[in-house]
Amino acid sequence: MVQKQSGTDKSSKVHSVSFSELIKLGFSKNAEWPDDEIFLDWIYWSRQVVGLLFGLIWGLIPLTGFIGLALFGICSCGYVYLYCSAFGVDDEAYGGIYEIIKEGFMTNFASFLVAWIITYSSVHWDELLVERL
Amino acid sequence: MVLSDALVIVFISLFTAFLGEGVTYILVYRTEKYQKLKVEIEKQTKKLEKKKEVLGEALDKQQKKKIERDEERLKNNNRDLSLVKMKSMFFTGFAFTALLSMFNSIFDGKVVARLPFVPISWIQGLSHRNLQGDDYTQCSFIFLYILCTMSIRQNVQKILGFSPSRAASKQGIFGAQPGQFK
Repeated sequence: MVQKQSGTDKSSKVHSVSFSELIKLGFSKNAEWPDDEIFLDWIYWSRQVVGLLFGLIWGLIPLTGFIGLALFGICSCGYVYLYCSAFGVDDEAYGGIYEIIKEGFMTNFASFLVAWIITYSSVHWDELLVERL
Repeated sequence: MVLSDALVIVFISLFTAFLGEGVTYILVYRTEKYQKLKVEIEKQTKKLEKKKEVLGEALDKQQKKKIERDEERLKNNNRDLSLVKMKSMFFTGFAFTALLSMFNSIFDGKVVARLPFVPISWIQGLSHRNLQGDDYTQCSFIFLYILCTMSIRQNVQKILGFSPSRAASKQGIFGAQPGQFK
């Protein structure tokens, strides 16, 4: 259950949407978000999932070094940018695309690093040991 | 086995995140004073945000004064909120320092993961702490623990609904900026 207080002049109202409603809103074009906070929550959580997926993929390939980090930055920001343009989000209503891209970036980056490091270590540990012998 | 070590660290940070939030809930979040202050701050923040939005940059002297007064009130409430949080911070600070030193001694000198990148020099002290050799792709307990905590704590706070609202964070609630319009 996502329950947040409204953003602007509807300050006393409390909007809530169920998890399934949030998913439905997130995947519908030109969705009418009941609250700014709910939309930003959707961006936050979808980014978390995407970040974990990127970490898994980067670790399995494996992508290494600065290229892996830079590619993550591009893909993570690109995901938000493409989502907003594909689903008709009016970014000005949320303070511009930069504000939306910033949403949950650091947590997303940390989640990605954890997934990347653990996947890379567990899948390629033996190869790395042989390489160093 | 590296995977088991890494997963143990993920569970440790999950456990400490829930423990920290649980203790903070008992000591702070459930108290009437905290709840009152939180609601008050959110209300004031939104009011101030709206006022700034409506008035824009062109402000006369009286309007500026009014906004400054509101900011001052917000700052005072923020200070009170920090004081309420203080006792929990002390308790969790002590508890986690003890827990961390215990886990540190368990994983001391142990490579818990292999980094897919070489960290920049000022992070190497952390990522390679208490490890022998100069292979900087070897990861120490503390580095993985910090990354896990950065990721998990924030998400746990969000799931439990304890994270501060975006409007409050935007206004600099944890470091309000009074006199912005001076």
